[in-house]
Amino acid sequence: MTELLIRGARKAYGATLALRRGDFDLKGGEVHVLIGSNGSGKSTLCKIVAGSVKPDAGEVILNGQPVTIAGPQASRALGIGIFYQELSLSARRTVAENILLPDLPMKGGLFVDRVALASRAARYIAEFDGVSGEGFAADTPVFKLRADQRQLVEIMKTLATEAPILIFDEPTSALDRAQVERFFEILKRLKGEGRAIVFISHRMDEIFAIGDRVTVIRDGETVATSNIAETDVPSVIRQMVGDHDEVVAAPPAAPAVSGDTGTALGVEGLGGSGFSNVSFSVARGEILGFGGLHGQGQSAVLRAIFGAAPRASGAIAVRGEPFAAANPRQAIARGVAYVSGDRGRDGIVQGRPILENVTPVHFLRNRLRIVRPGELQKKAAGPLDALKTKFQTIDHPINSLSGGNQQKVVIARWLIDRPDVLLLDDPTKGIDLQAKSDLFALIRQLAGEGLGIVLYSSEDAELLANADRILVFNSGSVTRELSGEDRTRYNLYHAAYEAA
Amino acid sequence: MTSLSASSQRSGFAAAIERLPFLPALLILVVLIALNGWFEPNSLGFRAVTGLVSTYLALMMLAIAQTYVVMAGDIDLSVGAILSLVNVVVIVLMEQWGGGGLTVLAACFVGILTGLACGLVNGLVVAALRLQAIVATFATSIFFTGLALYVLPVAGTPAPAAFWRTYGGRILEVPFVFWAVAVLALLLVALVRTRLTTLLLAVGDDAQGAFQSGLPVVAIRIKGYVLCGLFAALAALCVTGDTASGDPLVGGKMTLYSVAAVVLGGSALSGGKGTVVGSLVGALIIGLINSLVFFVGTPSEWQNLVQGLAILIALMAGVFVGRRVGQ
Repeated sequence: MTELLIRGARKAYGATLALRRGDFDLKGGEVHVLIGSNGSGKSTLCKIVAGSVKPDAGEVILNGQPVTIAGPQASRALGIGIFYQELSLSARRTVAENILLPDLPMKGGLFVDRVALASRAARYIAEFDGVSGEGFAADTPVFKLRADQRQLVEIMKTLATEAPILIFDEPTSALDRAQVERFFEILKRLKGEGRAIVFISHRMDEIFAIGDRVTVIRDGETVATSNIAETDVPSVIRQMVGDHDEVVAAPPAAPAVSGDTGTALGVEGLGGSGFSNVSFSVARGEILGFGGLHGQGQSAVLRAIFGAAPRASGAIAVRGEPFAAANPRQAIARGVAYVSGDRGRDGIVQGRPILENVTPVHFLRNRLRIVRPGELQKKAAGPLDALKTKFQTIDHPINSLSGGNQQKVVIARWLIDRPDVLLLDDPTKGIDLQAKSDLFALIRQLAGEGLGIVLYSSEDAELLANADRILVFNSGSVTRELSGEDRTRYNLYHAAYEAA
Repeated sequence: MTSLSASSQRSGFAAAIERLPFLPALLILVVLIALNGWFEPNSLGFRAVTGLVSTYLALMMLAIAQTYVVMAGDIDLSVGAILSLVNVVVIVLMEQWGGGGLTVLAACFVGILTGLACGLVNGLVVAALRLQAIVATFATSIFFTGLALYVLPVAGTPAPAAFWRTYGGRILEVPFVFWAVAVLALLLVALVRTRLTTLLLAVGDDAQGAFQSGLPVVAIRIKGYVLCGLFAALAALCVTGDTASGDPLVGGKMTLYSVAAVVLGGSALSGGKGTVVGSLVGALIIGLINSLVFFVGTPSEWQNLVQGLAILIALMAGVFVGRRVGQ
């Protein structure tokens, strides 16, 4: 009987501890659910088994033998098949080629055996007959498929490994009801054959429909493993939340804004790629939080407001005036600021001095063409100091700074000329604790000066501690609003993990 | 429903382009052949076509070489230098070994080994050491050129008659170069069906995904570079047959022509999409543009300018057709 044990697995990325103590055991003939909130370490645990991450400590024991898994190839050789959440498909290859890519049937030692390829792939494609949707065929290139169909291909590819251990990292996120039901039938059959299956999902109903046991991970530590039959949704959520489920210390009530109060940002029926019918308003002086699982449309909404992503419908108003940015340039000119956690892509100007990284928005908003470097330096110094940014001289390249300080420079960019609205898109990704607390102190201060602030954070604790109100996103729409006493971890998780 | 009927209307051509991404290039090729025939009817004669093929067979080979690395999302800026190195190695060996039939074959064999070795070096540097392909192969190109200059410091040593007479001659009344094209076609048909081609394209599509699927990504990329070295060496043999002499710098200019031919042929430089047939057609387009510029009677000082413009136009035409169909 197959048996996989993970004992005390630990993994740190620099100063961040992704996995503190991961314990997990998996037996043949079971579907073992792994659950935990964003960043709790479950993906790291999977990647250790997949061989793409090397643990700093701890051991993996397969069928009684300690093993080291050097990479995806080694993992395959040990009989482990993995469904990757971000998919591992080759877009321009056909469905059949993708299903069997790691193990293409050969003839003559060199050539692809097309006949065997077609017949072997047909077996896995037939598993989803009738639910795979229009346009799904063995010779369709994957880029022509819809998101759910691609996910099916990745499932078929995982099944085609015929491995005794199968790990599915969020395999159902894009599937419809009928596809999920078919998938579960397959899982039940495989379980009957004695295979060991790990299933990761955020949908509670699915977990209870298919799981035999559930292991909860919290803050990089395995909390508990229980039989599904002996537990229920509230107790699983309680295990995910932990003991600290008191009402979160409310941040200071939105300070009174001197002068005119009112809405800083109003959004009505906003729809676009990945979100639909999103409405909310942010008062001046308020910090509105966006919560929920990763990728439920939070970033897409912020980017659409900023003009960086297309918007299909809806109306936006800044300080009561209708506003529709076709591109970030227009948004900046109107006083809308956007800070992304993806500094490399959206934030810093690589390899350029700090000064140049602080001033582009100043140039744009004041239509400056020529400036005196001395004056510019004085203007840049203020916000940098306010953020306690640590740097040697303002002429050093931005890459010489730590991640946290780079992010402070990016934020300082928006502070020379105060914006009306500040959109924060997971702004603390990968920065240290001190920098985080500096940042949030500043954000609160900015709110006090009358800005309307929207904060999306993938860290629930951060959101609970800093947002005055929280909108929980699920599958592209707002499913719940939490304010006042309701802002607890329990409520946040409950809303986020509800079936879509 | 309207979108459905509209899509079925153009689905014939669109589907054809999807299966054969080099169709736009083929159209451009036909137009160029017609233009050549218009300005110089003799250019479509048997002798002229033979001459065109023997001149541009080297570029066709080099474009094929480039295709195999581009498929995997890599690039090889040293193909021209490999060509030069193989050219001088072959010439010097033939001269030293006396230039008889067998020694010529032996020299060609060593030349091909040289090309394979250069490809292996590139593959190791790019895939195993993980250096940026564009810069790493630029560096190896300087290195290979240096080797070529060491082997033969000055251009000019002639090839033995046995070699260039074969290349320029006929077998069973058919010019040798046509036999070479036929063998090449068979080879390419076989290569398209290999697992390696599929894996190269898969790596070019998404290297991370390929790695996570358990594919030996490093080995696959190295094989792409080795295949590239092989075809660069074959290109060198063609150049040696065509020019009948050694020149340590002969290939330098051809490197970027090979990249242009690959792109003209409908391959994506980002990888994952490419056909060797397309690159062949691309190389022919460049050849025909050059001869057209000549036939039109462009004054010599304007030839480069016109040639450059014509290649730009060909590129734009290809992109335009592709986009119209893609919509």
